[in-house]
Amino acid sequence: MIKTLWKLRSTKIAAAMLLFIALITIVGPFVAPYDPLATSSQALAAPSASHWLGTDYLGRDVLSRILAGAPLSVGSTVLVAVIALLVGAIPGILSVYLRAGFEWVSLRVVDTFIALPFLVFAVAMTALLGNGIIQAMIAVGLLVSPLFYRVARSATLSVANSQYVEAAVLAGASTGYIVRKHVWSKVLPPIAISLATTLGLGLIVISSLQFLGIGVQPPTPTWGGILASDLGYLQQQPYAPIYPTALILITVLAFNLLADAIRDAAGESGRILIGSKGAQANRARRLAAVSSDYPEKEAA
Amino acid sequence: MTASTVAPPTPKTAPSSSPSTSDREPAQRPRGIFWHRVQRVLRSVWKPISIFIPVFILATFFTFLLGAVSGRSPAALQLGDSATPDAVAALNHQFGLDQPFFVRYFDWLGTLLSGNFGNSWVSGVPVAKLLGDRAVVSLSVAGLALLIGLVFGFILGAVAAHFQTRWPDRVITTGTTVISVLPPFVVGIALIAVFAIWLRWLPAVGFVPITKGFWPWASHLILPAVALSFDTVSDVARQLRTGLVSVYRENYVIGATVRGIGPRRVFWVHVLRNGVGPALSVLGLKFPALLGGAVLIESIFGLAGYGVFAAQSAVSGDVPSVQAVLVISVVLVVVFNLLVNVVLNRLIPSAARGV
Repeated sequence: MIKTLWKLRSTKIAAAMLLFIALITIVGPFVAPYDPLATSSQALAAPSASHWLGTDYLGRDVLSRILAGAPLSVGSTVLVAVIALLVGAIPGILSVYLRAGFEWVSLRVVDTFIALPFLVFAVAMTALLGNGIIQAMIAVGLLVSPLFYRVARSATLSVANSQYVEAAVLAGASTGYIVRKHVWSKVLPPIAISLATTLGLGLIVISSLQFLGIGVQPPTPTWGGILASDLGYLQQQPYAPIYPTALILITVLAFNLLADAIRDAAGESGRILIGSKGAQANRARRLAAVSSDYPEKEAA
Repeated sequence: MTASTVAPPTPKTAPSSSPSTSDREPAQRPRGIFWHRVQRVLRSVWKPISIFIPVFILATFFTFLLGAVSGRSPAALQLGDSATPDAVAALNHQFGLDQPFFVRYFDWLGTLLSGNFGNSWVSGVPVAKLLGDRAVVSLSVAGLALLIGLVFGFILGAVAAHFQTRWPDRVITTGTTVISVLPPFVVGIALIAVFAIWLRWLPAVGFVPITKGFWPWASHLILPAVALSFDTVSDVARQLRTGLVSVYRENYVIGATVRGIGPRRVFWVHVLRNGVGPALSVLGLKFPALLGGAVLIESIFGLAGYGVFAAQSAVSGDVPSVQAVLVISVVLVVVFNLLVNVVLNRLIPSAARGV
């Protein structure tokens, strides 16, 4: 499955973009040329040799601010996705096995979460509970979790009721073997797809909150916050919002590409395929099947 | 032209559906088609209501719980840190905060149903009064965005389905995919940079009531509404395309063409009516996002709407104001979804059996 995935061109593009973002997030704050909070007399300067991306309205170096803001923007997005995965997927799988009461209650709760106007609740929860980045991550993670609940539940349902699992049990297969061979391969791809989607969505929501000044205190640099301060000086620097925007879009696009690639590799694309992407995925899958057939047969 | 897209099939519902339904239930024939239709609408409303009542109760419960968990109180807001315990207790008693949690919840729910949202903890003014003017701003932006989303989403989706797999389809499919990943604040900033600062066609910020003339009002609303509608346009267009393309492959469409019915009539009567389902239901799902996106859009375009109000009240800890906004948005979502359900059941009666 991972081999198939790696053969797709879009996976490689997405991986390259994500590597770039990861590099910025991990190394960025240490290589920033200036202190992101240090102001200087050159306010709203154009890009130059000393300030590669120019300076903002207080004369702070934009490049340093973007690099320093990366951990808060990207790092918290990753944590949002992890929280959503834990809060959503575990009850989703359990809802299939712990029938009746738990199932009904959890389904109603999930219905409610989906009906809530997302951003309004995220803003209200974060601000009321103390207006910190931790609160923001918990609020957004909780509100995104229904996606994982639904995906995990439907995948588990389809495996639990499938005849091939029944057949494997009758044939005397051990639980470990069934989980490894049948359940895992069926449940993991949809969860991986939603994880990739959530990472993209999470960055947008976290940046939106930061844009509104929720979940972060003013002088702290974040990508959303940089955008918000650029907005006031569009008249002088109409190009300034491009840098944080480009980074946010690259990240979101990479995660969406990855989600699509996983979908293609797992053979789950329900859409009507135009062009060669589907055919490419099919060929890669066939090749992977051929190459992995031989060692398996020898092992058996 | 496409604003009426949903409407045209409806008049044709009567002749085509009445014989088939009265065949199934002959007992209803004497009471007439009018009563039958009323019943059908009632039935299509009742089923979602039975789903939405638990949603509404849970959502209000979460909203109230949020206020209780936050640990904010009017005493801290109005009296400050140096307040005496007696004064705090008196104020808590005045706002009814000395009652147990569930007593307060049901009291609050009761006053909500009578349209009273309580008094603001910051200013003591009734919340309904604070929200009145802002609701006009928010609803005009969200309503206009919904309209733009519907009209352009339907045009793009129908065009893409009509030219499926040819270049207009590819352009629209690629374009909507790109648009759907653009965050609203990026779209908003880009629109301001281009139309307000570069071209100077439209004002960047502010709101003018419609009483001061139509154009000043509309010119302030166009950019925010367009920015807000991008997501809806792309989702409606994609769902409509998928729905229409799959219906075009049905045998009854080929049958209609074979019977010599023109392509235009096949599209409006046979294809659109059956293919519009996914697009309409995605519109119902999209509505919460539209209300939520309003928070961002209002802040970018400097509009004093309820989203900005909610954010400000939440930061300052004015719990009743936040709760009022949350409850109003939940009610709007529920009502809008009910409406979508009714329309959907009128267009595609078979959907009513599957809810």
